[in-house]
Amino acid sequence: MAAPVIELNNLRVKLGRREILLGISCRLGVSGSGKAIGLLGPNGAGKSTLIQTLLGFHKPMAGSARVLGFDCHHNQRAVRERIGYMPESDSFIASMTAVSFLRLMAELSGLPRETALEKAHETLFHVGLGEARYRTIGTYSLGMKQMAKLAQAIVHGPELVILDEPTNGLDPAARQRMLKLVREMKEQHGMNVVLCSHLLRDVEEVCDEVVIMKDGNVVHHADLEAERRSNKRFVELEVSGDDANLINALQDTGADGVSEGGGRWRIVLPANFDVAGLWKLLAAENLNVRKLTHRRDTLEEIFLKAVGHIQRTPGEAAAAAEEVGVNGRL
Amino acid sequence: MAVYKRGYQRYRGPVTGHWTRVLALPRFAWERLFQQRLMIVLLAVSCLWPLLCAVFIYISNHAELWSGLDGGFSKMLAIDGRFFLVFMDVQSAFCILLAALAGPGLIAPDLANNALPLYFSRPLTRVDYVLARMTTLVGMLSLVTWVPGLALFGMQVGMAPAGWFANNWHLGGGLAAGFLLWIFIVSMVALASSAYVKWRLIAGALILGFFFLLAGAAAMVNGVFRVEWGNILNPAKAAHSVWCGLLGVEIPVGMDLWSSAAALALIVVLLALVLERKLRPVEVIS
Repeated sequence: MAAPVIELNNLRVKLGRREILLGISCRLGVSGSGKAIGLLGPNGAGKSTLIQTLLGFHKPMAGSARVLGFDCHHNQRAVRERIGYMPESDSFIASMTAVSFLRLMAELSGLPRETALEKAHETLFHVGLGEARYRTIGTYSLGMKQMAKLAQAIVHGPELVILDEPTNGLDPAARQRMLKLVREMKEQHGMNVVLCSHLLRDVEEVCDEVVIMKDGNVVHHADLEAERRSNKRFVELEVSGDDANLINALQDTGADGVSEGGGRWRIVLPANFDVAGLWKLLAAENLNVRKLTHRRDTLEEIFLKAVGHIQRTPGEAAAAAEEVGVNGRL
Repeated sequence: MAVYKRGYQRYRGPVTGHWTRVLALPRFAWERLFQQRLMIVLLAVSCLWPLLCAVFIYISNHAELWSGLDGGFSKMLAIDGRFFLVFMDVQSAFCILLAALAGPGLIAPDLANNALPLYFSRPLTRVDYVLARMTTLVGMLSLVTWVPGLALFGMQVGMAPAGWFANNWHLGGGLAAGFLLWIFIVSMVALASSAYVKWRLIAGALILGFFFLLAGAAAMVNGVFRVEWGNILNPAKAAHSVWCGLLGVEIPVGMDLWSSAAALALIVVLLALVLERKLRPVEVIS
């Protein structure tokens, strides 16, 4: 069985006199699967400390952290050989040209000299810095520096890439480009990605799994892919016309529905029944469709619930209403 | 196929050994150092004294050139421990100047650009990093210290009468060991200064200041307390005493071989503590 990308067992980390990570346990991702894990949390939740612990920068006070099956503290070298890290803050050597900088980073990661040079050029073209590769990094714009940081993280073709706020300070076009590159990394090159960001949309667009941290603990762990799949069966509908018979028609197909009045419905479709079937059913009932949406909880809603800002997500609220409907009205 | 047409592919080939990776750092550093004109000029100037010493060795081994001169002159031309001690004293000063020029560019830019997390997220430890940076200085300073020193020694062995080597073989070892000790101390000072301040210019001034200020402090202690032992505070004087011991030359008055060695060891420990404290991938505020 493939090892998890990250495995934490009661991980506790203390920095100075403050305990930052308070005994985290979880298993995230599967090595070699080319999936992205989103790391979310409010400021001070312990995200950066967790990343730095995975990189071996901090010694755990108790428990253990394993990356791709290797202990982060006892097998630092093995872990670091397999990781590419893009830090949040500016990190580079301003007086070096991008190509020399990447070549140095590639050689430090173990690439032979000629290959390192070749990969440096290749990676710079890949991230869109091909034309600027002989310029010193100090002269780059903020967006170019972000791309250079990404390039140094992937130049050696690591199994796992840890990206700390990769879209920080990027304009919308550059942000899209960065997210596209991250998607390519996992989908085309089979790299596992850990994306730490406070921009929920970035995580939602790119990640397959998400971990939400708060006050040094993991408060939520969700498989976004599974959630996306399951939410496709949940439909919000608004129709005009006489919908009195709709509940019976839905039950005949095996679907569950609850009327909210005024032609508004919440429907859970069975596995063998798709939206096209629903359209046909509504046409047969002579109903005009005014609105039909696949409503699912956004990551923002999941996040707000996890950090305690809302009691339950709209999806959970709908499910609860559904349950009341099934037990009460239907 | 041209690189820009090929597209990015993950590298899955063999990786190099640990020390090959570590030595990539000094290789890149040398490449950058030797692009500086001032560095080349200073290196060239540093080679003048070894050249003069070579001429001196040649003259001293060709009696026909000074046969008309008196006996005092022949004593002055003797190639012995004192000759190599003078050679070391002069070259050690060039060592400091070269370290002040090259040292600040080694760690300070990495700290100023926050590049340490990039190094330490790769299979490179802090010890590896310091060793790599030190190798840069050791390699460069060797060019003006023990390498020409041993060349001079070899030249003397080749020119001198047969018995000279049998009586003076320890000079070669003493010269190499003395220079390596000095290079180590100067490199530690340069690295610690470079790690302590992020600005190259100030780091360079700090390296020079370290030697001059301690020399001043030593002179002050000697003057105020009317003693000689204050010299052990001066790393150059302390190293000179150790060299005297290694070359079999009489140690200056007020100095002692072991107390000088202990003073140098203490300096190295303090500098290592500075490096340990400053070279961290992330700063933890307690």
